[in-house]
Amino acid sequence: MNYGHRLRFGLRLSTDADHEPDHLIKSAALAERWGLDLLVVPAGTAGADLEPGTVSSWIAAATGSLGLVVESPPTPHPAMLARAVASLDQLTAGRVELALHAEAADSGEALGDTIAVVRELWNVLDRGLGRYTGRLHRLSGAQKAAPAHDVPIAVHADSHVLRLVGRQADEWSTGDVTALAEGNRVVDEAARAAGRDPREIRRRITIRGDVGERAGTFTGTTEDWVSDLLPLVLDHGVGTVVLDTDSEDLAARFANDVAPALRAAVDAALPHGWSSTRVRRAAALARRRPGIDYEGTPEGMAEVVEPGDLAYARLRSGYLRGGAPGIVLRATTAEQVAQALAYARRHPGVPLSRRSAGHGVSGRSTNDGGIVIDVSLMNTIEVLDEKTRRVRIGPGARWAEVAAALEPYGWALSSGDYGGVGVGGLATAGGIGYLSREHGLTIDHLRAVEMVLADGSIVRASDVENADLFWAVRGAGANFGIVTAFEFEADEVGPVAFAQLTQDASDVERYLVEWGRVVEQSPRDLTSFVILPPSRAGRPAVALSHTMVHAADRETVLARLEPLAAISPMYAQDVAISSYAAVMNNASDDAPVSRGEPVSRSGLLRHVTPEFAAASARVLRSGAIGWFQLRAVGGAVADVPADATAYAHRDANFSLVVMGGDDEVVDAAWELLRPFLDGLYLSFESSLRPERLAEAFPPATLSRLRRLKSTYDPEGVFDDNFALTPATNDPGGSDQ
Amino acid sequence: MTDYGHDLWFGSFVTPAARPPQAPVELALASERAGLDLVSFQDHPYQSAFQDTWTLMSYVAARTERIRISGNVLSLPLRSPAVLARAAASLDRLTGGRVDLGIGAGAFWDGIAAMGGRRLTPGQAVQALEEAVQVIRGLWATDEPGPLKVDGEYYSVTGAKRGPAPAHRIPIHIGAYKPRMLRLTGRIADGWLPSLGYLPDGPASLDAMNEQIDEAASAAGREPAAVSRLLNLSGRFTTGGGGLLQGTPGDWAEQLADLALQYGVSGFILASDEPAELDLFGHEVAPRTRELVQSERTA
Repeated sequence: MNYGHRLRFGLRLSTDADHEPDHLIKSAALAERWGLDLLVVPAGTAGADLEPGTVSSWIAAATGSLGLVVESPPTPHPAMLARAVASLDQLTAGRVELALHAEAADSGEALGDTIAVVRELWNVLDRGLGRYTGRLHRLSGAQKAAPAHDVPIAVHADSHVLRLVGRQADEWSTGDVTALAEGNRVVDEAARAAGRDPREIRRRITIRGDVGERAGTFTGTTEDWVSDLLPLVLDHGVGTVVLDTDSEDLAARFANDVAPALRAAVDAALPHGWSSTRVRRAAALARRRPGIDYEGTPEGMAEVVEPGDLAYARLRSGYLRGGAPGIVLRATTAEQVAQALAYARRHPGVPLSRRSAGHGVSGRSTNDGGIVIDVSLMNTIEVLDEKTRRVRIGPGARWAEVAAALEPYGWALSSGDYGGVGVGGLATAGGIGYLSREHGLTIDHLRAVEMVLADGSIVRASDVENADLFWAVRGAGANFGIVTAFEFEADEVGPVAFAQLTQDASDVERYLVEWGRVVEQSPRDLTSFVILPPSRAGRPAVALSHTMVHAADRETVLARLEPLAAISPMYAQDVAISSYAAVMNNASDDAPVSRGEPVSRSGLLRHVTPEFAAASARVLRSGAIGWFQLRAVGGAVADVPADATAYAHRDANFSLVVMGGDDEVVDAAWELLRPFLDGLYLSFESSLRPERLAEAFPPATLSRLRRLKSTYDPEGVFDDNFALTPATNDPGGSDQ
Repeated sequence: MTDYGHDLWFGSFVTPAARPPQAPVELALASERAGLDLVSFQDHPYQSAFQDTWTLMSYVAARTERIRISGNVLSLPLRSPAVLARAAASLDRLTGGRVDLGIGAGAFWDGIAAMGGRRLTPGQAVQALEEAVQVIRGLWATDEPGPLKVDGEYYSVTGAKRGPAPAHRIPIHIGAYKPRMLRLTGRIADGWLPSLGYLPDGPASLDAMNEQIDEAASAAGREPAAVSRLLNLSGRFTTGGGGLLQGTPGDWAEQLADLALQYGVSGFILASDEPAELDLFGHEVAPRTRELVQSERTA
């Protein structure tokens, strides 16, 4: 019986204290160089043996790819074991496994409790604090911390706890070849009784041996070793073979001769693809959602993440929206995207979301129970032609990375105000950034895209190829497909000044009007964003402005900032000569842990009039919203004709975004502001009301978009975010 | 007012932040580059924002070459003394003697209990710490005859094989503030490791606390100087004119020299996650403080 586990080979380290530290490092380095999968750090408990956790961490820091199996003797503090292993797995980006040794006197209670406690502390799929009440060990509200990957838990035991192995472990480890047949029977039976698939449990054998004359099992030539090991793999399903030796020569022979020969022999004996199936734990399968064909996921995806997988905790939610998708398909090529899309289209009625990377406001890149096609791994940034500053960027790159990659060339692409935003979402909607008045929107620098359309075809769009599609992608891209590569023409951008000013805004109306006037009157090398925190009792009302001046000489910078600084008294200021990349380097790498729904409204306006300022002041005082930001647009943005891209509101000088906690409350406040607004920016709008569409696109733009939608996506595959689908009512009344 | 005459050393106190995991490792490397003598990490295992301190220490040990490494201080209630003894001895062997053992009786009992640890009263925790030190030193004492037997109320060892032996005599530093803990420190510890920020009256508190340690040491037949006095510090480098540890590196050096000469502090540990501050502390404050103390002692 074979369980379909890819063969792994490892060495068991000798860690009695007689060995010099250099010996440990040397053994580890050799194992790594020989391409072995694992190094087992034994849980010796005799006085002179080194403590395994310490040795594992020490070796981990000196190796780069080797897997480490930390053996643990029975521990009085399983929660600490969980912390230690999770930490080391994080430090090594996922190279650690845990092996528990059963104590002869333990009937399985201590071991069972230990496994349960460790799994509970690592279980970040269920939010909240860790709780477990066992006979010997307990957790009562402990903070959880996950390892970097799904760390397997092996149990090393010969007989007395095999049923527990079947119930709870990920691998059974034994040193007794003769125990395999009966042991497997017990493990498998216990696994099935617990509702598990026996294939969830790997089988590991640890052997000793010698080279030379044939003198019993594992003593002889490479061929002898293979003939001894082959039946263990074929008949007893051994998936991990660990050699316990002090001899470097023997270890070399095992790694370099026996391992490849055994792999070849096993491949020859078993049908093609014998080890290609990933077997998830029963506990993971239980988290699957209805309506999704989990068995039929496309082959060759970079990663398929289900709700029971550890990676799901990092991938389920967006920056502001909590999500619970049924499956996340991660693609690294356009072909994989097409395959994922075909898979999604076989699921009519199941929500489909697309995710580039990073942070988005409306959070349409996740869903509840549906499919997410995630291209965040497509994050390369490549210079195609230095002379024309042509760069090719994957949709999964984040703008901080783009800025850092372009900086050495003296280039930049205006993006947004936060480096954690992903390229794909922003570059198909607009891109209102710190250089917008001088350099326009991000989409104004777009020269070509490659994308996967609803029918699965992979096309290129530019001014000369599929020009209508290229027009639509720049402002309404989400309706037309999944962009797999962007080609931009970057701008030459030298040092910039970045000013963060905190000013008095007790007369908020005056501040807003003045800020708007100063921005509009400033040369284009200045772009300013301002945040007005809602007023709170006992705190002075302030305005926080972030202003970029594309200049590095002190006189110019001061001349540009002076009118802003003069608006009202200053509480704090920070002005630095910096680079665009340094300003964008403001994002955390942490995975989002958002819950709930963002409530965000967007509007565009021509001027900050006293009437608009008065309405804003009312809204800020109302307590209805938690976020109010104005961004300068205009300038170079308005140089582009309104019909040149699907983003058409070129005449706006300002973009407004407000956010709050409740749709109705925010909408009521928004009604006060609406009379002054003309148009909206899709990236900052979370409402899906049909009339928003007419605000996003002027009539001529909307009707052209609808015609194109009926060509490129007639069935409305990409309707999750501001659907243009012809079947819906045309609130603009202007179709055709 | 005592100067115990110890050689001065300088260290860092780095937050063992879990994200990104390599950040504290980089700060340990920065500490070594700054010429500091020790890098230390707090230990709050119930806090998921932190890495496991011992794992981090062991990892850092392999990445550094010269600097000493310590918990500051390790939470005893969640770390079995027998395991701790073997882990510390193992790391000391691996590093050729670069380990200090800083331990505390435990704080934040809710967090300890949440992790499955035993909740003790302050008095019980002091006794548990004393027993733990007995276990730890007993396991290290491989030249003592026979297996180790400790029959404690909180930690018992029945006939454990001793070892492994550490590479050097690992000093045990105890974090202590209250009289019982100070007396325990005087009786058994190699070092006293409080934080300046927790001293009720700032440096002025040191006199009375030193006195309690000295008395307990003498009563136990030890020289008061057998207990070195360490201090966790935090501050800010400014252009001058601020209060304690709020000035230039020169101001800091004068203030630390004063702490050394007046209160016998010989180990100064700066809490900082800023490489630039660690660099100033190691390269400017440390040599100037040493000079000032040296010239005063020889005067």
